[in-house]
Amino acid sequence: MQQQEIHQFLEQYFLANDCQLLQNGPGFMSVQLTVDLDKELMNRPFYWHYLEKTGGIPNPMQLTFITDQNKAPDSIKGETIHFGSPRLHQIFQSTKSLAGYIRLYENHNYANQQTPLYPWLCLNLKISYKCDRKCDIFRSIGLQLITGQMVEDFHTTLLTVPLTPKIPDYSFTLSPLIKPVSGINRIENFIKMGINNEDHNWAEEARNRWEKDQQLLDHFYENEENKNESYEIEKKALQEQYEPKIIISYINGGLFYLTQKSF
Amino acid sequence: MSVQIDFDSSWQDGLLHRIDHDGPWGNWELFKLAVDIERHLVIPEFEGLQAPKHLPNLTPLPHQLETAKQVIENMNGKAILADEVGLGKTIEAGLILKEYMIRGLVNKVLILVPASLVTQWASELNSKFFIPAVTQRKSYVWEQYDVVVSSIDTAKRSPHREIINGLDYDLIIIDEAHKLKNNKTKNYEFVQNLKKKFCLLLTATPIQNRIEEIFNLVSLLKPGHLGSETAFYEKYKRDSRSLNDDEHLKELVNKVMIRNRRADTGIEWTKRKVETIPIEITEQEKELYNAITELKSEGDWTQGSAFSVMTLQREACSSREAVYHTLKNMLEKQENPSQAYKDKIQYLISKVEAVGQNSKAKKALELIQSIDDKVIIFTEYRATQLYLQWFLKQHGITSVPFRGGFKRGKKDWMRELFQKKAQVLIATEAGGEGINLQFCHHIINFDLPWNPMRLEQRIGRIHRLGQEKDVMIYNFAIKDTVEEHILKLLYEKIHLFEKVIGELDDILTKLEFGNIEDHLIDIFSGSSSEGEMRIKMENLTSMIEFANDLKKEDLHAAAGNTSIS
Repeated sequence: MQQQEIHQFLEQYFLANDCQLLQNGPGFMSVQLTVDLDKELMNRPFYWHYLEKTGGIPNPMQLTFITDQNKAPDSIKGETIHFGSPRLHQIFQSTKSLAGYIRLYENHNYANQQTPLYPWLCLNLKISYKCDRKCDIFRSIGLQLITGQMVEDFHTTLLTVPLTPKIPDYSFTLSPLIKPVSGINRIENFIKMGINNEDHNWAEEARNRWEKDQQLLDHFYENEENKNESYEIEKKALQEQYEPKIIISYINGGLFYLTQKSF
Repeated sequence: MSVQIDFDSSWQDGLLHRIDHDGPWGNWELFKLAVDIERHLVIPEFEGLQAPKHLPNLTPLPHQLETAKQVIENMNGKAILADEVGLGKTIEAGLILKEYMIRGLVNKVLILVPASLVTQWASELNSKFFIPAVTQRKSYVWEQYDVVVSSIDTAKRSPHREIINGLDYDLIIIDEAHKLKNNKTKNYEFVQNLKKKFCLLLTATPIQNRIEEIFNLVSLLKPGHLGSETAFYEKYKRDSRSLNDDEHLKELVNKVMIRNRRADTGIEWTKRKVETIPIEITEQEKELYNAITELKSEGDWTQGSAFSVMTLQREACSSREAVYHTLKNMLEKQENPSQAYKDKIQYLISKVEAVGQNSKAKKALELIQSIDDKVIIFTEYRATQLYLQWFLKQHGITSVPFRGGFKRGKKDWMRELFQKKAQVLIATEAGGEGINLQFCHHIINFDLPWNPMRLEQRIGRIHRLGQEKDVMIYNFAIKDTVEEHILKLLYEKIHLFEKVIGELDDILTKLEFGNIEDHLIDIFSGSSSEGEMRIKMENLTSMIEFANDLKKEDLHAAAGNTSIS
């Protein structure tokens, strides 16, 4: 992410959360937080607790960010944001937690015509292959909850569909035959099966490296009668470092009701 | 082969709950943003770095990228970065730090560097890496900021020490870490007590073949990894030469240390041109030197004082001021000086007073005038430093002093003055470390250090990445003195100046040779006659040459092997 993209991201984040941008110039921006976002980002529960008890007037904070020191005027004081800065990570986390679940309807324009909308379950996932190294794959999978049809890269397709949080006029949703719980299971099994069929050379190699490191550690403790606590700690540290694992985590997902035409 | 798969199952409960309660549902814009972010945060390959893509202001060199990659992929963020001086260890550390920050593995960072480099570190991290590092100024900084740069001397003092010990750091970077080789020091103890996940130790001096150094530095990175201290020493003192054990140690060192050499980097370096300038001294100067040399044959006249004849001889080659300073100290420090002792000192002081001019300083002046550009003069003695500053001023040449003891702000200021206002910088040994002076390309070694590593540090201040011109090195040596012997041995016979220091290090470790400085002291103070001294010198020279040949053969045998030996 270049600094310019970070700037855009912050803009989108705050606007999507109904915050007012007080200033937005090249390389910097200041923003008036809403009460909700102040609670989300500023980590001052005592203030809000006190305010709610006493019934005072809420005074959410303003934040100023500098996204490019060379472009921002010297008079501007604020937090420098870069890719990797803890504040940006916090906002990333917040974005994910605020948009973990969604339900949307296709905003079709078949006016004056009763249109059925088909239920889809969408899961956006991150699959992390972890040993002493790490590698991730992003997967977006859609499952049609009537036919059981499964679509890869579902998110990209959704980007081309006009969507709205309220069911449009002249539309009705079809009831799913597959319950969301079993839908989730189907997708999970589908992914697990795919993974089991993969070539896990990487894990084999990691185990070999682990084994070698363990031998080295053992060598240094070879003459010690009772291997003490520090040996166990080191051994455990090696396990944590090398043991191959696949961790599947949810980014977000939800229900989408779409016309037949979209797929 | 099957691999354990962990599915994070908490998410689905949330979905079912929302379906039952008809919401609350997220906002489509944020939903899309969240997916975008993940796509940015995904690490698509097991190998490779993310950081360089996010650093438009920086073009790292191949060896720097490779080092960062190694540390992250193979060393789990615990490493000794021991590149030769001037290859950009700061950049490597910055890349590693940035990479971990992008992966969200590191938030809280402590960077301990020499006082003179604090400002420079902070500004490089900010401008090249977009890392908001702050320099430590107030004690609340430790807790309030995520990335703090400080000197170790400040950090280990109350009240800072107590605050820092209470914090959990994700990454600690220590520059000039060779100062932590001894585990009995306050600095070592301080670093050992820091709570950390990852740790980078930066040093220009590699781990030598000293078992103790390896144990101490590795213990900082991976406490407990080498077993208990007593067991470790029992094993390695007893059969330290057994090949099997050496292999293990070597493997271990390769696991925690990376050392890039100039020669391996494939970068075009500017040349080093070395010129030896023999100095003829005046009768009075010669008399002073001889008077000191004669002391050697007079037995234990120093009454157990710590000052040796050797020190005085070397000082006499630098300036009469340096000798005088030591003599005065010898008189003051002695509790009940005998009359003979006092007389002796008085006699020497009279010799000092007889010296009318400093021949070296005169030569230096001529040289500086003819160079007509920025020059750095290195001397080992503070008294010489003061004298030179005065002397140059008498002749209308502006100079600034530089010492290790200066406060950070003063060092920055002196560097600035030298760059903008003064022609000459006069530095003592301790001032040599940790300041970058690439804008200058002339060095005068007013007197020579006996430790080749220290010499490399001197030259490394200007012969580093960013130096655009050939570097000129002028060595002063007074004829018929210890200085000339040293110069002949170290710097002419074995061509030390043209060598890069890694090579010499290789050579010395191959011989299990010990410290070269100790050998020199033995030769010069332990020899009873000129003849004995000459023979010992020749021995040492041929040993070094022998090792050099060995190394060349080795290189032929195992071309391409760059690991430490």
